[in-house]
Amino acid sequence: SESVITAQTVNRQTQRSPSDHWVLEHDVSTPGLGPTTQELKQATKENVSNRTFVEYVVLLPGVSRTSIEKNITLDSATGIELSCRLDHKYSNLKNLQVTWKRGNETIRHINKTENSWSIQLRILDNSSLGSYSCTLKSEEELSAVFNLQVPKIEGKEKPIVSYEGDTAVMICKSFGYTPIAWTWYMTNGSEQIAINDSLLADKYAINTVSANVTHLKILKLTKEDDGVYWCEAAFELGKSKGKLTLKVLSFMVPLKPFLAIVAEAVILVTLVFLYEIYSKRKEKCAEEEKEFDQAEQLKSEESNGLENSSARHRKI
Amino acid sequence: PSPPDGGWGWVVVFGAFVSIGFAYAFPKGLAIFFKEIQDFFGTSYSEIAWVSSIMLATTYGAGPISSILVNRYGSRPVVMFGGLLCGIGMVSAAFCTSILQLYICVGFITGFGLALNLQPSVIIIGKYFLKRRPVANGLAMAGSPVMLCTLAPLNQFLFDNFGWRGSFLILGAILLNCCVAGALFRPIGAATTSVKTQATKEGKATLKEEVSKDAMEISSPMNIHTETKTEEEGERDCCEKINQYLDFSLFKHRGFLIYLIGNVLMFLGFFAPIVFLAPYAKHIGIDEYSAAFLLSILAIVDMIARPTTGIIANSKWVRPRIQYFFSFSIAFNGTCHLLCPLASGYTGLVVYSVFFGLAFGMVCAMLFETLMDLVGAARFTSAVGLVTIAECCTILLGPPIGGTLIDTFGDYKYMFIKCGAVMVLAGTFLFIMNYYNYRMLAKEKERKAKEEDPKSVRTENEGRNDWNKETAEDGPELEPLREEQEGLKKEVNGT
Repeated sequence: SESVITAQTVNRQTQRSPSDHWVLEHDVSTPGLGPTTQELKQATKENVSNRTFVEYVVLLPGVSRTSIEKNITLDSATGIELSCRLDHKYSNLKNLQVTWKRGNETIRHINKTENSWSIQLRILDNSSLGSYSCTLKSEEELSAVFNLQVPKIEGKEKPIVSYEGDTAVMICKSFGYTPIAWTWYMTNGSEQIAINDSLLADKYAINTVSANVTHLKILKLTKEDDGVYWCEAAFELGKSKGKLTLKVLSFMVPLKPFLAIVAEAVILVTLVFLYEIYSKRKEKCAEEEKEFDQAEQLKSEESNGLENSSARHRKI
Repeated sequence: PSPPDGGWGWVVVFGAFVSIGFAYAFPKGLAIFFKEIQDFFGTSYSEIAWVSSIMLATTYGAGPISSILVNRYGSRPVVMFGGLLCGIGMVSAAFCTSILQLYICVGFITGFGLALNLQPSVIIIGKYFLKRRPVANGLAMAGSPVMLCTLAPLNQFLFDNFGWRGSFLILGAILLNCCVAGALFRPIGAATTSVKTQATKEGKATLKEEVSKDAMEISSPMNIHTETKTEEEGERDCCEKINQYLDFSLFKHRGFLIYLIGNVLMFLGFFAPIVFLAPYAKHIGIDEYSAAFLLSILAIVDMIARPTTGIIANSKWVRPRIQYFFSFSIAFNGTCHLLCPLASGYTGLVVYSVFFGLAFGMVCAMLFETLMDLVGAARFTSAVGLVTIAECCTILLGPPIGGTLIDTFGDYKYMFIKCGAVMVLAGTFLFIMNYYNYRMLAKEKERKAKEEDPKSVRTENEGRNDWNKETAEDGPELEPLREEQEGLKKEVNGT
């Protein structure tokens, strides 16, 4: 695979000394794309202020001519710089027009360096998140999209199975980013209702084990508790939800296969024993016949007066 | 009466296949439920892992109890009771409300039930087979990988549909099938029919005297006891009474001691590589499903290797030297582990899994066969109990020691080196000691042949000398064969 790592100079804000910089490698192979786009995330060590920008670079064009998409996860307020860099093979393209857009809105302030065009954004709240795209137009059109999003929360794809009267524990985890708060929702029809565990303390218990993990315990399950639940993590920049499904079964459900298998075992044991009794009886009949024959044979031998057999019987 | 070596014996092998399969595969198959149970009870992973450990410890540790019960009641009632106990254990586990209750229900009760399944199944094979015993053992031990391959997806299916409580309930019912396997274990040998009791007793007496190699003084009091039990019960020595149930005199048996030391050493490195194969694969960057597939490859190769080893071990070249074959497979297993760190990438690990599966199957197939070969079928009942309780400690220690090595050095290769070294050492030890044992046995045989009773009929003596000349190269295994024939002859003469 042609992985191209582009070394980037740090953002050109004022008063930056090289010693402050360190380079972090950030592998961004988004699914579905070729593994050719890699970028380096560089940060300066200075105070996190307006002057700190994290840079994300995309090299154009990628493997295929289709648009490159890049997902960037942000959980707290930062400044970022998005750059679209043109591969030096194409540097002699004429009439290159570069546009940065967010939705339909065009962004004016584009910083241009030799072969890259970038914009600087201050992400302070949810409204700043979204998709930003850069388009390079000359003979052909090359574009890239940056998706700025809050961290995703994973729920469970498979339903959690529990039983009436039992307890169910549902767990949500956030990987890498620490949420400010967690909220649980249950779905009632099409609505999502927040679960208040202080109000219904004997039914629900929300336990935040650590900042990244939350537990929802539902006691005394009934059929109505069956359904979809959401755990919502609140970050500085927005909220993110994970989906969990709960299935409540009655105890009759596993009882039927249980009884079926027990019945099968009992029947098989009975069959084995019956067969044994039957075969033993057959054996006894056959033996009795054999003994009868042997008795007959002995009688005939005695009547003939063979001495060898009796001598053999006396010897040990 | 000599073992039938066929007929109903093959049905017994099938029963043992099921029984042994459950005993070995069930604890491993439970691992699928652990994540959910851990979340449910809010415990750490190590607390959950204790369930498996307690189960394994009980299955091996209750070996002597199993042996005593088999000595007393025979295999069939013990296995059926064991199956029932397993079922009860799992069903009650389905209603557990704390992790401690799980330890008891799943760990102790089910573990004990599995112990009552494992030992008698192995013992009864020795009672039904002699000439084809390695094949029978290999086939029966193949139950373990087959059951594991069946239980793993089954457990996953049960879990997805019924949650862990429902799954435990249904698994309890499935374990009742061990009772079916036990029902197939028709008693054979002593005390079955009333017609031939007298002759059978005498036959048994001669058999016992000649099969047990240096416990002649124990056998004779046993014979006296079986005939005059009621009168002398009060006067019996405490030790002899215990010996009747569990033959501690085995500790004076040279072959038994060799086997015990070698095996105890081997088990230190036996199971750890399996436990850590998938984590190691993930550690070097292989994805979860491919890592799990490695274990499937292992299981499949294992499945084929066990009966094949049984057939090879039964051949006339290998059977007299089966102890060497066993030592070789242990050393081969160890070499695989030593070479594993050299395997790079997924292909290397696949090759390792194939060879590991092969070696693992070879060792397991002959595990009990070699013990039977050394001590003979009559004392095997007690021997297996004593061996399993000794192995219990090292089996439990193996994976944690491996885990500590991995945590300390941050690298898996030291664990593989440790396991490989231990097993190569065990294999070499067994090889050398068995060579010594074979030589001592050959010398004892010559001594016995010279000390033969001069009052015996000339024809018999000549016959035996001819046998001695023909079978001078045979190991101790064919001794029972020959001596049983002699015993038979005496029995016929005695009627």
